[in-house]
Amino acid sequence: MPRISLPLALAAPAVILIGAMFCLPVLQILALSFTEPRIGLENYVALATDPLYLHIIATTLRICAWTTLVAVVLGYVVAYVMANVTDRIRGWMMIFLLVPFWLSVLVRAFAWSFLLTRNGFVNATLMTLGIISQPLHLLYTETGVIIGMIHYMLPYAVLPMLTTMVGIDKSLVVAARSLGAGPVRTFLRVWLPLSLPGVMAAIVLVFIMSLGFFITPALLGGGKTVMIAQYIQFGISETMNWGVAAAFATALLVAVMLSLVLASRTMRIKNLFGAT
Amino acid sequence: MKFDQQPDGFVDAVKAVLDGPDFPGSKRRQLIKLLASAGMLSLVPGGASWASDKKIVVCNWGGDMLRAQPVAWGRPFQKATGTRVDYDGTGPSFGKIRTMVESKHVVWDVCDANLAVAYTLGTKGFLEPIDYSIVDRNKVRPGFATEFGVSNFIYSFILAYDKSKFGDHPPRTWADFWNVKEFPGMRSLSARTLGTLEGALMADGVPADASKIYPIDEKRALAKVAELKPHTIYWHTSSESQQLLRQGQVSMAMIYSTRAVPLRKEPGSTFDFTWNQGIVIPAGWVVPKGNPAGKEVFKFLAFTQKPETQLEMLRLVGAGPANPATNAIVPPELQRDNPASEENFRQQIMADPVWVGKNQDRIYHDYIKVISG
Repeated sequence: MPRISLPLALAAPAVILIGAMFCLPVLQILALSFTEPRIGLENYVALATDPLYLHIIATTLRICAWTTLVAVVLGYVVAYVMANVTDRIRGWMMIFLLVPFWLSVLVRAFAWSFLLTRNGFVNATLMTLGIISQPLHLLYTETGVIIGMIHYMLPYAVLPMLTTMVGIDKSLVVAARSLGAGPVRTFLRVWLPLSLPGVMAAIVLVFIMSLGFFITPALLGGGKTVMIAQYIQFGISETMNWGVAAAFATALLVAVMLSLVLASRTMRIKNLFGAT
Repeated sequence: MKFDQQPDGFVDAVKAVLDGPDFPGSKRRQLIKLLASAGMLSLVPGGASWASDKKIVVCNWGGDMLRAQPVAWGRPFQKATGTRVDYDGTGPSFGKIRTMVESKHVVWDVCDANLAVAYTLGTKGFLEPIDYSIVDRNKVRPGFATEFGVSNFIYSFILAYDKSKFGDHPPRTWADFWNVKEFPGMRSLSARTLGTLEGALMADGVPADASKIYPIDEKRALAKVAELKPHTIYWHTSSESQQLLRQGQVSMAMIYSTRAVPLRKEPGSTFDFTWNQGIVIPAGWVVPKGNPAGKEVFKFLAFTQKPETQLEMLRLVGAGPANPATNAIVPPELQRDNPASEENFRQQIMADPVWVGKNQDRIYHDYIKVISG
């Protein structure tokens, strides 16, 4: 009688559970995209040709791109500082980073809906500082959605980059300086290349999470900013347009998989999930 | 896939115990309670109805309705008939009703929807036809009793505004609503089409007369919506529509009358609304196909037609009685906020549920294109 390996046997219940409770329903949804309302590819043809769907896809990609860019750039600065301060200060910075991270996305979106109003904190501050003379339209615009999403995503950008940066051997920086490189050159030639795996991980993580965003655009977009996840919810629960909604869900899943495949060519995927 | 199927032997054993001659009623109820708490009641054949002999589960949209409907309809029905009425406020969306019916696992007996939903879901085979041998067609206005839905109350989309912004010259019509020069400020419209397109057509000069508005000239209505778009924030939930006014984000909004009345009554409120050119929506009961309580549910529906219960709904949440006979017993102080009072009803137009039901999905698509484009 062949012996089943212990790790395999231990993993089996979890695998079976996830397979039955998660994978099967997902496959059912995917199947809907080919069978609803008729068998065929019409839902995918619609995604590729209908101006509304193309518009929603473009909006989603644009918002995700901006969110990723700004969150990773800002996050890089934060991670850089955190990697180069004493442990004590880093601990404090970590608390400030993680407290908003643990707040529900709903609460944060509501908070922004107050901060971004015409006479809200953001506009008032900018006007007091003399940067603007008229309040900006922030709430219920795409800009407002992007601000809210960047705020949500910042910790996701900082953490993988911080992990990488903490692992950088500081003596390399000292060596570069002692060999005559200036601070800028040291950063560009030594620090930046060594931190790139973390940057890639941050980009992939933030982009993938942004793709499926729902609450922030729903609350801060004023109905005018419609992203894919919102359309899926709308298509399933408020109209009978299940086929297109399922096709969108499939497209999202494929986009996430593709991002991971592309990322796996430049980095080790397990870094993304915190394994070392 | 079904997870609630157990080996038949188990079911038989439970059944044998429950049916056994030496099994007292109190023990029986205890066992059923125990099974129910373990989520296993459904595996007992006819188990749900054993719990208290008879039970009806009503699904509505929560909030005020979840507080008011049990008071006006649930408990009185239980008292009168002994049939328990349970409420679920999670919202009977298209998707949920369809999923339940398709998976043959229907837990709701009746849903608080509207007559357009009744048409859409009914013609697609997801609803039971209303049994008019039990429910009385003549206890609602003409057009309020359809094959798959019967109106339980009415509400309206009305023009609500901030008095402090307009002083002696408040907006009165949808043309005013669309006139941002004379009536400055941002506006809010629903992110869904119901009400919005009707208002847009009236703003564009179509007379406030349902026979002139329907069938809706979609292009014309959507063009009018697009015209106001730079000045519009679109609300998704009715509490959002109130919040936009409270925060001063908008100076006018097209909102539900059932939300405008409490807004006006808030302490220090500067808000008011007009019934003029309001768009009346017949809310309505729909019964998902294969509902657990079967025909019994229509007795509940008939009960909700009684004028006293309809009056209670008006008193509690400003729901306009669907049964016109109720007007005879409405006290004068409630008439001002009653969408179905003779005076208010006259100023409004009635949404055409059949047209909306037939065209909703298609128009939704074009509408989102306009507001998100």
